[in-house]
Amino acid sequence: MAAEPTREWSDEQLKSDDLPKKDMIKFIQDNAAHSFLNEHKLLGNIKNVAKTAKKEQLIIAYNELFESKRFKGTEPIEEMTEHVRAVKLDDKPKEVKEIVDEGPPKFTKSVLKKGDKTNFPKKGETVSCWYTGSLEDGTVFDTNIPTTARKKKQTKPMSFKVGLGRVIRGWDEGVLTMSKGETARLVIEPEWAYGRKGVPDSKIPPNATLIFEVELVSVD
Amino acid sequence: MSGETQLEAAGMALEQLSDVVQRCQGVPDDSYTTEAHDVFTVAGRICIEEGNSVQVLSIVLDDKNQDIVRCMGWNLLPPLVQILLKKEDKDLPHCLAIFNHLLKACRPKELLIGLLEQLEQDDADTIAESLHLLLNPLQKVLLCLGSRKASSLGMTLSSVLDQVAKLPVPHTKEQEEDDVFSLCRCCTDLIPFVRPFVQEARQNLLNSKKQSEVADKMPVGGEWSSPDKEELRTELLKFCMKTLSHPLLEVQLKDPETLAVSPLRNFATEILNTLSAIGESVPSLVYQPLLKRKEVPGFLEEEVRYPKESLASLAHLVFVHHLAADSFPSVFSPVFCLRCNMEHVCLLLSRTDESRIQKGLELYEKSLVRVENGSLHADLLEIKTFLTVPQNLVKVMTICPRQDLRTKGLKAFQLSIDKFDTGAKYKFFLFMLKTSNHSGVEGYIIKNIKTQIDISLQPGNSNTWFEGVHLLPLLRKVFILPDGPETDLLQYMDRVMESLNLLRYLVIRDKVTENQTGIWTELYKIEDTFLRPLRVGLDMSRAHYERELCNTMEAKKSKVKEEGVLSVSVGDEKLPNMTPECQIQALHSALHTFDMIKSVLVRIEELIEVKDNI
Repeated sequence: MAAEPTREWSDEQLKSDDLPKKDMIKFIQDNAAHSFLNEHKLLGNIKNVAKTAKKEQLIIAYNELFESKRFKGTEPIEEMTEHVRAVKLDDKPKEVKEIVDEGPPKFTKSVLKKGDKTNFPKKGETVSCWYTGSLEDGTVFDTNIPTTARKKKQTKPMSFKVGLGRVIRGWDEGVLTMSKGETARLVIEPEWAYGRKGVPDSKIPPNATLIFEVELVSVD
Repeated sequence: MSGETQLEAAGMALEQLSDVVQRCQGVPDDSYTTEAHDVFTVAGRICIEEGNSVQVLSIVLDDKNQDIVRCMGWNLLPPLVQILLKKEDKDLPHCLAIFNHLLKACRPKELLIGLLEQLEQDDADTIAESLHLLLNPLQKVLLCLGSRKASSLGMTLSSVLDQVAKLPVPHTKEQEEDDVFSLCRCCTDLIPFVRPFVQEARQNLLNSKKQSEVADKMPVGGEWSSPDKEELRTELLKFCMKTLSHPLLEVQLKDPETLAVSPLRNFATEILNTLSAIGESVPSLVYQPLLKRKEVPGFLEEEVRYPKESLASLAHLVFVHHLAADSFPSVFSPVFCLRCNMEHVCLLLSRTDESRIQKGLELYEKSLVRVENGSLHADLLEIKTFLTVPQNLVKVMTICPRQDLRTKGLKAFQLSIDKFDTGAKYKFFLFMLKTSNHSGVEGYIIKNIKTQIDISLQPGNSNTWFEGVHLLPLLRKVFILPDGPETDLLQYMDRVMESLNLLRYLVIRDKVTENQTGIWTELYKIEDTFLRPLRVGLDMSRAHYERELCNTMEAKKSKVKEEGVLSVSVGDEKLPNMTPECQIQALHSALHTFDMIKSVLVRIEELIEVKDNI
């Protein structure tokens, strides 16, 4: 146990105007038990305490401290309880990550137009997107954006439930990082796209890196 | 009737017609008598049939007669259509003129009934001709019905498709080109027929979308449409769904390389386009088995609205024939695609109809091919279709009458095995050994097990399924004789041979000192429950068949006609007994089988002995 603190100031020094209240408060806060400080209303920011506490009060408190010997560490259980009460509990337990660490994500995203940065889709929610997909050589293999603005009014963006493995992994993971209104370019490596097979009888060859420009229109 | 009386009758009819028409002039049409109706109808018919259509035409065109024409004219449709269908009649132009006038003058609802009645004909040729003749008039009449046309359109489309269903379907490329029964022409005619209604439905959709945009909500099906508009969409949907079943599920579409211009392929493409136009997303339809759709307020319940068979047909068109590929999103994961298609495949393979089985196999193959080998996880086997499809496949492989489909089925079966990862393969093999109840299939599975063991024994491929902990339980399911020594070895030949091949392989490949597969420690059990009873069974069977052979040869020599213990009748005819020559051949073949089994068994025993002595 720490050695008992010693009196620093005599009664005369305490009464003197040379000794600022702040120093006295600091000493008492540093050395007194929590319950002592509470009783004497000496808890909290020194500046604030200095505003509310009068010098006379502080002298009384100082003297009582040494008389009662209610120094820090003399009431450990109580202090622990206070600490525990003071700790904030998280409402939701943190989700345990079940996924085995497979390494870095196999896609990259560059934001072309920022979204609202507030509405991010969650797994299982329905999202809708306009998109254009092309190969590395520039061939466009798929798009749902009609050619004229007038036609675009007639068609709907593609909607699907995100994060459930219904679309290629690059899309699932990529769209989850987007917020409503965002337009992004996702460059997806083959492992998170159509892999070694590609899509037979289509423009997507085996081992193709796919580039999608995606606009996240709405989130459920 | 003699020629004279006929003329008389015709003349009389004309008189009666002119008469009744005159009587009705100036009379309000709601007070025409039933008698007037009947006279007009009968007399009119006779006039037309007897070739007096010129006169009928002038009566019908007469301004003073427009009330009666509007009220009763439609009753002349039957005889008119008969003439028009004949095509070579000299009265054709006049009848056509009468017909066209009636279309304009009479009430649409009544014309509709009259025209629809005329669609129903007896033979295929007339059906095709009447469709060709009447689709255009029907369209005109429907367009006159205004916003209340939906239910009439539905009735019309339903009748038309019922008639189309009676036409024989072309199978080969040449048959499609020749189109002798005009099915292709009918389908081709249907496209312009529905076009204005599809346009209207598309416009309705657009308008409702605009409305909802103003109110800042997404339209869901019937929410923003009036009942009439929703009914129109529903009738067109019903039409598309029906065509997907027939004729589209019946025909084998030809690819562009085979047949550059294919009316049926065009028709199928148009149906897909129509679905999109009326607001039914093709991906949603195809993936419907897995998507929980929101309850759309409307006419029909989900299952009626989207018949499973039609959706399966649609999936086939999209994934096998790549129709409307440009508008189908390329973002869905191959496994999701497979899972959805399994439902369609299951449905198609559960039919006995060969056309559906073929499409089921094609769809299955196309879905599997997109997935990488060894990538499907055992979890998928918890899904019902992943078990029922192989079971349906077994039926196809073993009892489908068409050889090409049996072969195709086997190919699909092996392809599906290849796509499973190791753990899933293991689980699948156990399942098939347990449930297939067919020696050939079991033998095939056992061959696959051998392949997997071989792979796992290669450096770097070690796994706990085909080596290690799980292998022995699987092998115990392989090395069994269902009825012990009494097992019918001929019936179980495939399975027994493959089991012996596997055992021979293990005994050669796995060194006694290494015992990677555990076979050496298991061997004594296998000898007990499999090898020993097999030896006994073989000896017994061999003895039995040798005796049979002797007897048969004796019987042949002495030319005694043996009354067979067994006779087979088909219908009421008894099939001839097997000739002695055939019997002898069969018995030799059985003995040969036993020899084969015996030789592998002996070889295995030799190998075991050698290794035991090491």
